[in-house]
Amino acid sequence: MIKAMKFSTVAALALISAGAAQAADCPIKVGVLHSLSGTMAISETTLKDTMLMLIDKQNKAGGLLGCQLEAVVKDPASDWPLFAEKARELISNDKVDVIFGSWTSASRKAVLPVIEELNALYFYPVQYEGEESSKNVFYTGAAPNQQAIPATDYFLDELGVEKFALLGTDYVYPRTTNRILEAYLKSKGIAEEDIFVNYTPFGHSDWSTIVSDVKALGADGKQVGVISTINGDANIGFYKELAAQGVSADDIPVVAFSVGEEELSGLDTSNLVGHLAAWNYFMSAEGEANAEFIKEWHAFIGDEKRVTNDPMEAHYIGFNMWVNAVTAAETTDVDAVRGHMWGQEFPNLTGGTAVMGVNHHLSKPVLIGEIRADGQFDIISSTEPVPGDAWTDYLPESAVLESDWKDLECGMYNTETKTCVQIQSNY
Amino acid sequence: MPRALLSFLALLLCLSLAPLAATAQNTGLKAILQQYSGEVAKPGRQTVDTLIAALVASGDAAVPAFLQNWADREVYQRRTDGEFFYAEKQGDAYALTDIATGAPAGTAPAAEIEQIRPNGGVRRTISTALVQFQLSDPNIASRIAALDAIARSPSADQIEPLRASIETEQDPGVLARKKRLDGMLTASFGTTPEARIAAIGALSSELSVDVRAVLNQILTTRAGVAESLPEGANIARVLKPGKALTEAEAYARLVSAELAQPVQSREQIKAALTANLVDGAVGGVPLGQLVSEAGRDRAYAALAAEGLVPARVTAEDRAAALASHVFYEEYAEPDAAITGAAEDALGAVRTRVGLWQAVDFGLDSLSLASIYFLAAIGLAITFGVMGVINMAHGEFIMMGAYTGYVVQQLIPDYTLSLIVALPLAFVITFAAGVAMERLVIRWLYHRPLETLLATFGISIALQQLAKNIFGTQARPLTSPHWLDGAWIINDVAGIANIRIAIFVLALVFLCLILFILNKTRIGLEVRAVTQNPGMAASMGINPDKINMLTFGLGSGIAGIAGIAIGLYAQVTSEMGGNYIVQSFMTVVVGGVGNVWGTLAGAALIGILQKGIEWMNPSNTLAAQTYMILFIILFIQVRPKGIVALKGRAAGD
Repeated sequence: MIKAMKFSTVAALALISAGAAQAADCPIKVGVLHSLSGTMAISETTLKDTMLMLIDKQNKAGGLLGCQLEAVVKDPASDWPLFAEKARELISNDKVDVIFGSWTSASRKAVLPVIEELNALYFYPVQYEGEESSKNVFYTGAAPNQQAIPATDYFLDELGVEKFALLGTDYVYPRTTNRILEAYLKSKGIAEEDIFVNYTPFGHSDWSTIVSDVKALGADGKQVGVISTINGDANIGFYKELAAQGVSADDIPVVAFSVGEEELSGLDTSNLVGHLAAWNYFMSAEGEANAEFIKEWHAFIGDEKRVTNDPMEAHYIGFNMWVNAVTAAETTDVDAVRGHMWGQEFPNLTGGTAVMGVNHHLSKPVLIGEIRADGQFDIISSTEPVPGDAWTDYLPESAVLESDWKDLECGMYNTETKTCVQIQSNY
Repeated sequence: MPRALLSFLALLLCLSLAPLAATAQNTGLKAILQQYSGEVAKPGRQTVDTLIAALVASGDAAVPAFLQNWADREVYQRRTDGEFFYAEKQGDAYALTDIATGAPAGTAPAAEIEQIRPNGGVRRTISTALVQFQLSDPNIASRIAALDAIARSPSADQIEPLRASIETEQDPGVLARKKRLDGMLTASFGTTPEARIAAIGALSSELSVDVRAVLNQILTTRAGVAESLPEGANIARVLKPGKALTEAEAYARLVSAELAQPVQSREQIKAALTANLVDGAVGGVPLGQLVSEAGRDRAYAALAAEGLVPARVTAEDRAAALASHVFYEEYAEPDAAITGAAEDALGAVRTRVGLWQAVDFGLDSLSLASIYFLAAIGLAITFGVMGVINMAHGEFIMMGAYTGYVVQQLIPDYTLSLIVALPLAFVITFAAGVAMERLVIRWLYHRPLETLLATFGISIALQQLAKNIFGTQARPLTSPHWLDGAWIINDVAGIANIRIAIFVLALVFLCLILFILNKTRIGLEVRAVTQNPGMAASMGINPDKINMLTFGLGSGIAGIAGIAIGLYAQVTSEMGGNYIVQSFMTVVVGGVGNVWGTLAGAALIGILQKGIEWMNPSNTLAAQTYMILFIILFIQVRPKGIVALKGRAAGD
């Protein structure tokens, strides 16, 4: 033990002295922090594979700053406190230069204090509830105004929905999203009694009562629509029950924010045709960049049947932006890279260009797709790129807040009092 | 709605003109499509009406077919010239068909044409427009589609075409539905009050969601306020401020009806004072006195007297305003006889809905109880009878479900594969149970803590093994076609067929286990060994072998439960974990060592969970928390469960 400590001290000293001469220590280490077991494994394993593919591709293209990239994969096992522990391990022991990880907001919230304490860099690829902007996190997934709000608008304008059922898994993302949506719907003139909210545990499987409750909402002759923030494998039971009770998309449309191609691949989708999902990417998007990405993915994973999805695109954009920022900064130093991330541009797989804002959120187009019988989506609506809004405009306490890490150097800036509420994101 | 009405008027108009127009313009359809090409390619629910009205008004014979294909996403636009075609994929290219003539129009590569995808809202508008063409269509599916469209967006002008089609309708099922829809349309849009009241009366024997929708729409109210109740208005009820609505709400209504002045807030008063600051004083009150509430009030009163600001609304003013007005809710429907009939009908419907909700609640509870029973019955044998705490019980459930999945991969026929999978799952989990008993558990009898830890370890290992073999993705275990759908008694009560099947399976297993334990030699030996192994051994029973078989039996049943659970929920490596807690609760609440106890426990937990969910529909998680609380309390009162064994059989 003592010997090992001595050795590591010597090694550390050697590194410090070498560090002055060299811009980056080879190899550059990239941490991958996705659950490979537990309830979120259904979604997160793919993202780990995506990262390995991207790193592999970058290495074949000559690496970064003359170094090879090395992936360090940890399995936090869908256990939120374990995320914090593994993140600390990645930063302190493995000395990674950047971490790509998390799916659920609960796991991101667990990681936040660690990466802020150790000033690390974290890329979070999944759509989330907003109300956050950490100095050390880049959010490459959608904020509510890039997914939930446009989807709700689509329900109101295009489908004429007058009564809403907000169904979600019981944790921070669905609860916050539904709070924002409730405020938004009320601002659009939907009465409180026309909004039905329900939360279920992770992995919930007994959906019969809830689906009957939703069906009964139509008793006053209003068009009912379901906004689903159900996460993980509970979705399978939910969609099976919808099909069993004969709820067709023409009667009660369901729009999901956490169901993509990957989740549908575990399902017989013939009964779900016409239900909706809102994302910034669909595998069915036409375009050369997307076709190329799908081809690479199939070649990497060795299975033509595997699908691509939105968080994969988010990692694709996030990773390439990071590579470009590091190249521009000529170092992997966190503060230098962050400076080069602001305004970083990279083409989307669906066309157009994603831009990283000073609030650490991307601007991306919003797509709405209808489920097809083959488990893919028909894109039926797409918007111009929407800049991600860290603090929603629909909750009074958040409407006054702003995030700007470049000029204001604050993620929670009160525009009324003109003060920075706090730097750390331990809210 | 008015726009929809307008478009329908246009539809009707064109119907009468159709024969004339059809001969006159053969190119009508294409010309209109080009005129509105932007709307055709990217239709929106709120803007598509003009286009559809124009299409229908053209009277072109190809319009119904076009509308149908448009909704079915078979219309494509050629990028080069913006022309619209029907297209069908042939190899890498698409074969185009002319929209007006139906003649082949060459081919185009996929990159050159773009599929047009009207969204759900537009498709609904299209299907409403198609109703008139489809009601007497020889194809029964089209007629049903037309009826669906009417049911989704009923309107007054549908009555005539619907009635006309009733006379020629041959199919008894469709005829019944048409008549029912006619009744609903008449209730809402009938021409004479008598006809409407009769139709509403007929609806009172129903309870479906759409009938309730019709009645509720007739009974739509709007809030009103006036100095006295308006003459001739159809008043639903009078609201008393302070009772039916709060005084603040009532006053807000007065303000929004411009019958009273809004109450000034402190901020508004401050702003008014600041705005009227003249020479260091406001309304003659010097600035220094404005720090106190009284001073500010005086200054504001002075300003109000000068007419510079609106007078302050006092509490007395508000009370007087509230007292001098009546607040009421008024029916949108002016005829009191119709709303009265609708109220009566809705009352009758509501009572029946309440009754059926109770039935539905019973069915749901029974179904959940049977699932818990099936998951727990194996545990009732291993834990209840043998006293082994098997934390890997859930993994036997998972093993059974994966067996079902693998069999489905090998045998594509779902019914046959289910028939094969059920016994196979039993055999595999039986073998796994026996192996586990031989290798681990038999060394740990009467050492519950070690058993718990060992089986927990096995559970984790089995989960990881499943992950390595099948991956982390949920695997589909598709039920055979005849188990799809649901037994729908009416719009309120119904249960998925798959749940009925699980219920039957649970019943079968209850009987089977009771039979094995009570009527067979092995059952006798099992009971003997569990009650007194030493005595049983001296009677010539081999306790080792019996323990092994019992454990295998319990595990085998878990495997079959796995297939049942996989059919209605998800097959993942973690699925066992979802049931292990409930299973233990069921066995503990029911009473250890007794099959009847497990049944009672499953029934209690199932009913309880549904009951709490019913009382607190917005949070299913809370239901589970309350349930566990209840069980802890229950165990305090009856530590041995509902069915407690007595005497020597109790084992202590």
